[in-house]
Amino acid sequence: MNEHSRNEARTSVAAIADIQARLEQQDYICNSSIATSLFLAQQLDKPLLIEGPPGVGKTELAKAAAAMTGKPLIRLQCYEGLDETKALYEWKYGKQLLYTQVLKEKLGDLLQGAVGLKDSIARLHEFDDTFFSEEFLEPRPLLKALWEPGGAVLLIDEIDKADDEFEAFLLELLSDYQISVPELGTIKAKSTPLVFLTSNNKRELGDALKRRCLHLHIPFPDAALEQSIVRRRVPEAEARLNAQLVGFVQALRKLDLRKVPAISETLDWARTLVLMHARELDADLVRATLNVLLKYQDDIESVESEIPALVVGAKKEPEWRSLK
Amino acid sequence: MTEMLSDFIRALRAADVRVSPSEAIDAGAALERIGYEDRQILKFGLSQALAKTIDEKQAFNETFEKFFEFRSFSGRAGNAVSQDEDAPSQQNSVRQSEQGGQGAQAGGGSSGQGQGESAQRQSPGDASAADLIDVLERGDRAELQRRLAEAARKTGVTDIRFFTQRGLYALKIQREMGAEKLDDMIAEARESNDPRQQAEGDRLRQVREEFRAEVRDFVERRLALFAANSGRRLREEILESVRLSNVERTDMKLMRDLVAKMAKRLVSLHSRRRKTARRGQLDIRKTIRINIEYDGLLFHTIWKKRKIDRPKVLAICDVSGSVAQVSRFLLMFLHSLHEVIPHVRSFAFSGQLGEVTDLFEREDVERAIAETLDRFGGSTDYGEAFETFESLALDQVDRRTTVLVLGDARNNNAEPRADILRKIHDRARRVIFLNPESRVSWNTGDSVMRVYEPCVDRAIVCASLKDLERVVSDLLRTAA
Repeated sequence: MNEHSRNEARTSVAAIADIQARLEQQDYICNSSIATSLFLAQQLDKPLLIEGPPGVGKTELAKAAAAMTGKPLIRLQCYEGLDETKALYEWKYGKQLLYTQVLKEKLGDLLQGAVGLKDSIARLHEFDDTFFSEEFLEPRPLLKALWEPGGAVLLIDEIDKADDEFEAFLLELLSDYQISVPELGTIKAKSTPLVFLTSNNKRELGDALKRRCLHLHIPFPDAALEQSIVRRRVPEAEARLNAQLVGFVQALRKLDLRKVPAISETLDWARTLVLMHARELDADLVRATLNVLLKYQDDIESVESEIPALVVGAKKEPEWRSLK
Repeated sequence: MTEMLSDFIRALRAADVRVSPSEAIDAGAALERIGYEDRQILKFGLSQALAKTIDEKQAFNETFEKFFEFRSFSGRAGNAVSQDEDAPSQQNSVRQSEQGGQGAQAGGGSSGQGQGESAQRQSPGDASAADLIDVLERGDRAELQRRLAEAARKTGVTDIRFFTQRGLYALKIQREMGAEKLDDMIAEARESNDPRQQAEGDRLRQVREEFRAEVRDFVERRLALFAANSGRRLREEILESVRLSNVERTDMKLMRDLVAKMAKRLVSLHSRRRKTARRGQLDIRKTIRINIEYDGLLFHTIWKKRKIDRPKVLAICDVSGSVAQVSRFLLMFLHSLHEVIPHVRSFAFSGQLGEVTDLFEREDVERAIAETLDRFGGSTDYGEAFETFESLALDQVDRRTTVLVLGDARNNNAEPRADILRKIHDRARRVIFLNPESRVSWNTGDSVMRVYEPCVDRAIVCASLKDLERVVSDLLRTAA
């Protein structure tokens, strides 16, 4: 390795640490895996596909990245039946109609002096294209992201919920940052947007899509990371409570549940406990607030009998473990 | 360094991570940006560019640990320090060895020089012999590894497939790195009468032993990296086409994995939910609704579409004797395809027939099979089985249902009741009869295949996993 690339490498490690620190300023606490992915996505101009269980902060990452870079966040929520008229562009039909009416009145003036049908049509031809120009184009999220002069952060949320056709349609955008509008030709991005795609793995995404993206898998955080997230988001929770509640949630995730609690539920629970002026976990308190953590009656019932044991386990959890 | 990356990618591919050329290019670009400074970041970066599913991430992590364990990261730093400390003494020994080497050559006489030269021309490795001793004696592991890697590339160790090739490749690498010359030097030193030279020879011999061990170690690691899966793959290939009734008990776990893998492949192949337009039929309701905003002018036309449904499958499986094995795998297959065939109902029979859907969805396959046999064992009676099926589930059979019947049609001379099968056939989308016996032995003995064959759409021989996969894939493809 020569001196130049070594320097570059050293700065890249610094840059990744910097990204991590700047995300933390946006109240997004992450490990270096996430920071590395963001660094690479920016450096390589590649979209970032984020997968992981629900509620680990996939969407939050895109929001934090937008706040960090100061670029506008443009969000496209995917669902079954989403098509290009809702994702890419739509013609402003109302405006086109209105203009047609106006044109109708002016038609007489316009065609005055035209000799024969051929000449009239030739004159009209000069106008028809105006109805399909950018003036009449209603940009939807994808096109908006491409048109943003200073670049944007584009979040394509829950891509796994969209149809296969839409996934295929995205390929051109993801690899070349351009899209084709039949009436206008190809529209290229004014400035390359930072693209995030999130998926809950409801269905397997196509290889072609995956190939074009960097792939980040966000698992549930370990206890140390989750403690610092709670500390940042719910500073009112005392250190002892923080450690105990995180320990309890971590233990819950090891059980066989229909839906294990995610970070967002941990935070909700922490806020609930703070509201109840709890300073420490105890079995009754947990029993009373369990419905914040678990969203299925089956889960609540199956956990209920084990609460005392889990609480005892959580109390052994060491406090204030720092991130590094 | 890019060669290193391509070696790594080859190791990944050997570990069942699919890496396309464009991903390899991305990894190269990522590597340029992040460098080797921080091992953890290197790992994250490469993993994000190369491994795109959770399974692949896992395989990636294992391969990464194996591949980069001996490279100059944290572990080697300590080594380098200790090396600096006793640098002066090493300098001495290097000089000594150089002298020793020269002495040995001189002792060999004038012809030795000429031989050395001609040998040099023959193989490039010779030139580095003295150099090699130098590296070995200094204990510079990083440099040694670099050379090993280089020699490995020249000798094509990445092609290693079987553990029996270890010796061969170890020898090739040693030769490439100039070990022969080293051997010559040792031999010469031992033959000479000078005690100082003999001591030198002993020392060289020790170095030589260490070197041999190092190379063997290296080749073994390479084997683990590049060929870890090839043995398994070979076995899988064989198992795929072997008759299911001949599968050994010890291979069962592998077979189960194999079925899971095949099922996964089929799921990803067929998970697209297709829609076809019914040609030329306007969906008036939708069209009017969407055009209200344009003052009722029909700008948009919506055409009627039909979602293509996933197949409904009813499986009727004989679980007696030799057929049980095939039934086991068919049921395993069907129930692992839950994502693309959500509606599977399975029935098992031998003496009597009963529904086993719940059993297979709830229990482990082995236990489910054992329980099925326990419940429905007895001498096979197709007639009675069909009768029970008729009363149990005939009303479930409709235009969208595919009925699979799996059995050898050996009916113990009882009433075959082909009329019920005919009835099922009339109601169902199609009926497929799977018979694990080869076509030649159909209709021999008490087999009543000839009675059943006209009542079904297709009768197929189905004896191996490959056959099974074909049947199931067929089922999915024509699920329109």
